[in-house]
This record gives sequence, structure tokens and C-alpha cells, in this order.
Amino acid sequence: MLNSAAAKGMGLVIGAALTFGAFFASVMLGTTEISLPTLFDALTHYDAANVSHIILLTERLPRAVIAALVGASLAIAGALMQTMTRNPLASPGILGINAGAMFFVVVAVSLLPLHTPTHYVWAALLGALVAASLVVLLSRGRHGELSPLRVVLAGVAVTAMFVSFSQGLLVIDQQSFESVLYWLAGSVSGRDLSMVTPLLPLFGGALLLSGLLVRHANALLLGDDMVTGLGMQATTIKLLLGLIVIVLAGSSVALAGMIGFVGLIVPHMARGLFGIDHRWLLPACAILGACLLLLADTASRFLMPPQQVPIGVMTALIGTPFFIYLARQKMASQ
Amino acid sequence: MTQETALPLHHTIERKSARLLNSLLLISCLLFFSVGVSLCLGSFPTPPLQVLQTLIAPQSSDIAFIIWELRLPRIVLAILVGAALAVAGAILQSIVRNPLASPDVIGITSGAALAAVLFLALLSTTLSIRWLPVAAMLGALVSALLVVSLAWKSGISPARMVLVGIGLAAAMGAGTTLLIVISDDTAAMTAYVWLTGSLYAAQWEDVWGLLPWILVAVPISLAFARHADAMALGDHVAEGLGVPILRSRIVLLACSVALAGAAVAFAGGLSFVGLIAPHLAARLVGRNLARLVPTSALVGALIVLNADLLGRVAFLPKDLPVGIFVAGIGAPFFVYLLHKARYRCY
Amino acid sequence: MPTIHAHCSKAWRRVLLLACAALIAFFVLANPLQSAAQNDNPAPSVSTPRIVTLYQGATDSAVALGLTPIGVVDSWLEKPMYRYLREPLEGVEHVGLETQPNLEKIAWLDPDLVIASDFRHARIAPLLAAIAPTASTNTVFGFKTTLTMIANATGRETEASQLLRLWDDRVSDFRQQIAAELGSEWPQKVAVVRFKSDHVRIYTHGFAGSILAELGFEQPDTLHTQGWGMKLSSTENIPVLNADVMFVLLEPDDPAIADNYQRWTAHPLWQRLSAVQNGRVFEVDPVSWMMGGGILAANAMLDDLYDHYKLQHQTCFPHATDHTGEYLQC
Repeated sequence: MLNSAAAKGMGLVIGAALTFGAFFASVMLGTTEISLPTLFDALTHYDAANVSHIILLTERLPRAVIAALVGASLAIAGALMQTMTRNPLASPGILGINAGAMFFVVVAVSLLPLHTPTHYVWAALLGALVAASLVVLLSRGRHGELSPLRVVLAGVAVTAMFVSFSQGLLVIDQQSFESVLYWLAGSVSGRDLSMVTPLLPLFGGALLLSGLLVRHANALLLGDDMVTGLGMQATTIKLLLGLIVIVLAGSSVALAGMIGFVGLIVPHMARGLFGIDHRWLLPACAILGACLLLLADTASRFLMPPQQVPIGVMTALIGTPFFIYLARQKMASQ
Repeated sequence: MTQETALPLHHTIERKSARLLNSLLLISCLLFFSVGVSLCLGSFPTPPLQVLQTLIAPQSSDIAFIIWELRLPRIVLAILVGAALAVAGAILQSIVRNPLASPDVIGITSGAALAAVLFLALLSTTLSIRWLPVAAMLGALVSALLVVSLAWKSGISPARMVLVGIGLAAAMGAGTTLLIVISDDTAAMTAYVWLTGSLYAAQWEDVWGLLPWILVAVPISLAFARHADAMALGDHVAEGLGVPILRSRIVLLACSVALAGAAVAFAGGLSFVGLIAPHLAARLVGRNLARLVPTSALVGALIVLNADLLGRVAFLPKDLPVGIFVAGIGAPFFVYLLHKARYRCY
Repeated sequence: MPTIHAHCSKAWRRVLLLACAALIAFFVLANPLQSAAQNDNPAPSVSTPRIVTLYQGATDSAVALGLTPIGVVDSWLEKPMYRYLREPLEGVEHVGLETQPNLEKIAWLDPDLVIASDFRHARIAPLLAAIAPTASTNTVFGFKTTLTMIANATGRETEASQLLRLWDDRVSDFRQQIAAELGSEWPQKVAVVRFKSDHVRIYTHGFAGSILAELGFEQPDTLHTQGWGMKLSSTENIPVLNADVMFVLLEPDDPAIADNYQRWTAHPLWQRLSAVQNGRVFEVDPVSWMMGGGILAANAMLDDLYDHYKLQHQTCFPHATDHTGEYLQC
């Protein structure tokens, strides 16, 4: 646990450096090793006949960009989720986002003719929004307040419902099961940067908004009434944070499928190192999340070559030992 | 609430016992009716009189085979599985003091799932599939031991246990996903159906396999139930009341693991019941564990039985896994209750 | 609190009443349903045993032996039954999925013999045995084993040995012709590849693999120690598919699969594969190459191979539509 602002600053810088390193590793390593000079060459003097250049621009770069973006977004969404519900078990999935996205994707693949990731990105996003709205609607108390417990319970119920409907569709139709299997496991390969560009405004807007609301998030940790001291209703803040979570997590799921570990566990890791102040926590989450996903993407190529392990699997395999270690340390100090 | 405390204590206790009895009676009736309907329905509906005849005086015929060897074991297994998972969930929610706790959360189901999928992917050619429940039980046991040992630091704090459990569940879930992704189509689908939770091909030997676990674990958990209620007030209060905290926690946890592990071993990843059945039961009889155990058992049995009935007959000729309908029925009902429960102090 | 309690118990009483009413209505309505569900099962005849086949290869083999099962499982593609088997199996009951056969239906059909696979149906084996004598074998795609097993169980050993002799003749003919045709290029390494909507699979052992091995083809160097095969999700790994000849299994109705196929074949690494450079990439039908699983499918697959290598068909072979017994004439 880093205690002083200087230590935290140092931590962030080191983290950022590690993330850059992971980015380059992800781009350069794989079945075909690509060296740094080749990378610069491809970016400056792109040669359409050079296989390495093609691999770089069609496979490696998009993967690395998506991994970093999704990792950062999921981690921030998870941190905000845990703050909003004041429950360490919360993750963006609790709001039903993953389940809603999954259901709409499964419907798109099995009932509508939308079979490729580029097409069902929008179905996924829509599903995430629908599920989350359902959860928010259901968890409003008698006076319209959003108690954390009700949000979580509603989320669990909605998630289970959508997951079961999806399972129903997948079990009936083996073909659609095979089509969505990689998406269900989490996948960043086979995606074009053109898939990311329409979603960039969403990512950017949500990240910006989260930056603006750090102080309110801090106040929320102390209790609903603390927030009013900053000039806003607790409910408004929760709704805004909820919107950020939905947009970030929904877009991430739409882009890369179900990557479940990051939103739940990376915030714990970040909190263990940087404390609960959101001004440090959110950047730390972004860095840790991006780094984790980039490392996972790189490692996924080497676990059982030439097959690639789905990225959702790798993140869990890498992150869990670290997380358990932190859980033991952190709980011991409380 | 205020009205209740104004009454003398023995009136309150009487009313609570009456509520318990009424609830148990009601759910038992519903369960009985569900069993009756389940016996009559299937690919070929059987008239109730014929069902009764076959039950009382079975002769060797197609109908007798269908009722005695296909429908009845599946119905009984559904009831046992629902009861076991519900009680496991009730115990966990009490120990961990978090209404989100279910056998999922501390990694038991994921451990069983990983073991089962490993078995299906790697060993199904060498060992007979009869060993699958054993493999799943071993998986549940190993993961429970892992959770406890990793969370142990001079005692088990519920919060730490849950956290470690979540981490392990994530890792084991990842392993399961990996196995499914690299398997061929039919193995992948078989594993996925198992993960969803399925009672297809339930046989009497499955029933005899599950029953002992329930007969042992449920009475033990009832015996320790009052300790659990004391612990719910806080560790310090419980110590003051002379409750052996560590021992009770371990015993109750063991009961929960045994019940959940055994149920999942025979029915696949059906654990959502362990989350919602205790909630539904608590709305009837309150959060006292001693009352909650029998009630959630019956509620869980009712849910799983009817879910399986739907899976068997609603989409003929397909036989859909029960797990789909457990959440499909349970979740909306749960949501409806949430909606109605606005006056509660959630 | 008392008011709420009374309200709750009133609600429960309503539920109970509703459940009773539903049950009574059900009792009343259930009786007519039973007569509608009666099967008119024809009396069993000694020469045509009533068999139920629980996997694709068994269905194919039964039809090849001139039997018409009374119950079959659904096909994986071209549902509910493959086109090449639709005519002989017209009007036959379907008993569910190969992986999850409907036991009640099988019981109702009252078969004399059930053909199952240990691999798929080990769990329900005791139940099947209680319904009817069950013949099962520990394979799903070993078409010769399946054929022999069904023949032994139904007394059609002569037909089976004829079919297998025909097959052996065709195999040795193919081996002679292709060795003559390709000379020093034989034996060739073969890759059996299947495109899905977001990944590609290469198969090693399995139906097609075993037949190709029997015909003398070899495994590519990249694949020696894999199980059933591999799934590749990244175009980077195209070199894994390298072989002298490639057979591509494509499902014609799925546009996403066609798209993915375009994407992969447009990649420069694809152009570097030896099969591509030698013009030996052939698109084939997944039904005969993978799904059918029986001797009829095997013969269809062999037809494909003859055609693709432009060899002469020398011997006659059985078609599903000739199952009346006339198939052995040319």
C-alpha cells in the first residue's frame, strides 16, 4: 500500500511505463516475431506486400489498442460500481450489462442474420443498455432512492434471467453456440480498428465524465448525505456514475465479449495499492486494467501454441494469484 | 414492526411458529401437486388414473417403465437437488452475512464445474461416465478446501473468505471456459449443457447417491442453526453468548459445501436456486436460520421441480436443461418480490 | 403487521385455490390427450427388426444394410435429416438429439433393438438396456465397426461383408490410381479444414481423417500430437494449415462463414500455402466428410476424392436411394 502522494505518483508513473511495455510486447510477440524497427517501418512506410506489416496492422495493433481500451474501461467501471453499491462483490456484470449484451448477441446470431462481430457490436451495446435500465428501474425504492443492496439484488436477478434465456437459445441451436463461443469467452482477435472508431466517442465521453466526478465519488463513499454537501443529490450522482458504468462496460463487452475478471478484481488490486481516493484510484484502475489485459493478450499466444487462449481466460489465470495475495494482505490489516 | 414488539413475547413466538407451519404446509401442498402433474406429463401425457395405477400396482409395461424409471427418479432428484442447494444457500447467506452469497460465490460450483468439464473433456473415453458425479464432488471439495486454506489467517473472516472465493471462482470459471473452447463441438455442447444445469437421464442410483448427503448435512446444520443466528449479530456478541464461533463456522460451511457439492455433482451448474430460494423463504418465515432451513428446502424443491417440468414438456420434442428455467422462473419472480418489497428496510 | 400478515395469507389462499382449479381442469382434459398420443405400432416382423439408431453413423449404416429404422436421431446439419437419407427415412420417427435422445419416445416406440454409442450414451445405457436389447460400440465415426455391429445384431452379415469388400476394392483401386497419377508427389499431406464464423478448425483424427489415412494420405507436419484437431482464431496462424492438399468444409447457407472464408483466403499468408500454390484447395460437403459417419457417407467422400484428383471411377458403389437391394448392380 502506497501511502504518500509522492509514492502514489511514482506508482502511477511506473504503472504507465509497464503498460507501455506491455503494449509493445503485445504488438511484437507472437507466432511471428516482429522487431521494433519493423514496427516503425510499418507505421511510416507501409508496404502492402510485406507480411509482417500486414500482420501488424491487421492483427497486432488493433488487438493491442482494443485490449488496452477495454481493460482500462472495465477496471474504471468496476471501481465506480463498487463505490456506488458499497459492496466489494459488485462488478459491472452485476448491473446485468454482460448478461444483457450476451442475450442480445445470442438473439442476433441465432434468430437474426447478424453473424459477425462487426454486426453484433450494436446488438451487444443495446442489450447492455436495456438490461441496465431494467435493473435501475427495478431497484428504485418507494421514494425513488437507489439503495445499493436493491441495485445488486435486482442486478443479480436480471442477469440470471438474461443468461438463462441465452442459454436456452444456445442449447437449442448448436450452430449459434459455435458462432458465439469465442465471443462468450472474450476475444480481441479478428477485430478491425474500424469497429472501434464508432465507439470511441462513447469511451471518451464516459472517461471524461468519470474524471469530472471523482470528488463526488469520494463523497459517496462516506454516505449519501455527504454528497449533498458538494451540491448534488446522491441519486443524481448515482445515476450519472451508473451511466458511466453502463457506457464503459457496455461498449467493452460489445467490442471484446465477456471478459469478466477485470471489472471485479482489478479495482480491489488498485485499492490495495493506491487507497480509496478516486483521484488516485481511477487512473490506477485504468493503468492496471490496460496492463493486465495487454499482458493477458500476449500470454494467450504462448500458452498452447498455435491455438490462442481466449483473453477472458488469460486475465483470470494471471490476475487471480495476485488478487488472492492482496485479499489476504488487505483483510489482515482491517 | 412496532405492533409486534408491543405484544408479549410468547405471542410473538407463537405467531412465528404458526407462520412457519402454515408456510411449510402450503409449500408442501404445492409440491405435492407439482409432483402429481409432473408424473402425468411428458412426451406422451398419461392420465392421472393410469399414473396412480402404475404407482400402486406396477406391471412390466412401457408406461410402468416410463413412470418408474424415467419420470419418478427425475422428479425425486429434482426435489432433492432443489432442497440441497437451497439449504446450502441459506447457510452461506447466514454465515457470510451477505444476501448475495450462494454456493457460486465461494467457488464451490466453479470447482465442481471445472472438475466435471475436465472429466468430460479428458477422461470420458477412459473412465465410465458414472464417475462424473464423483469428479464433480471432488472438485467442489478441493475448491472449498482451497478457499478455506487461502482465506485462513488465524481464523476465517467471512469477508476475506468471500473475496478469496470470488477470485478462485473467476480462475476456475476461466479454466472451464478454456476447456470448452478447445473441445470439439459435441463435447463442448455437452459441457455447456452440464454447466447450465440438467437433470436429463436422472436415474435411481443418482437419487441414492445424493440422499445420504442430505440426510447427514441438513440435521447437522439445523443443530448449529441457532449459533449461526447468534453470529449474525456480530462476532463479539456471539462470543459473549458463549457460541463456539470457529467450530460453528467450520461445521456450517462444511454442511453447505457438502450439500452444494453433492447437488451440483448430480445436476450440473444449477446454483441459482441457492441464491433465490432462501430469499423467497425468508419473506415467508424471516431470517432465523432454524426456520429458514426447512422452508428454503421446500421452496428450492418446488422451484427446481417446476423448472424441470417446463424444460421437459414446454418445448416438445426438445428436452431443455432445467437450469434455463430455474433462472427463467426464479428471476422474474424474485424481481416481482423486490418490486413488492418496497416497505421493507432493504 | 397483522394486516399485512392477513393480506399475505389471503394471497396464498388464492394461489392454492388457483392451483387446485388448474389441477382439476388438467385431470378433466388429460384423458382425451392419451388416445391422441397412441401410436399404432405395427406388429413386429421377424425379418424386419424394429431398430432405433441413436447416432448418425448408425442411421447411415442401417440404411446401407437395407433396414429402415423405426426411430432415428436428428442430424447435425440439413435438419431434420440429411438430404441423402431423406427418401429412405421418410415418415420415420425422430427421437431427439444424438447427445440427448428422448427416452420416453424410445420406450413408446417399443423397439426390438437399440443401436447406441458408448461414447455418447454411456450415461443412459442402463435405461436403454431396460427398454430393449442394446448394441453399442465405443466409437462414433468408426463406420466399419458400426456396420459390422449392426449387421451382426440384425442377421445381415452377408450384406455387410459385401459392402465392406466393395469398399476395400475401391480403396485399393484409389491407391493404385493415385500413386500412378501423382508419381513422386505421393503420398500427399492433407489438411481437412472447416470454416466457422469467427475461427477456423483443422481436423486430425475423426471420420475424414481415418478414411484419408486408410487411403494413404499423411498428416501435415504441424499437427502430429493434437487430439481431435485445433481451432485457430488468428490469421497469423495460417501456416499451421500448410499441406500438399487442402479440403475445405463449408456450410453453404451461412453468410458469416462465407465472409470469414473470404477474409482468410485474401490474406497473403494464405497465398503462401503449398496447397494454394499448387491449386489443390477443394471445397467439399461437410455432410459426407464429417457428419454422416457411415459407409454411405464414406463412399460419397471417396467419390469426391476421385473427382478432385480426376481419376476414373472403376467400381460401382451403393447409394442410399438404391437400398431396396438393387444397389450392387451397375
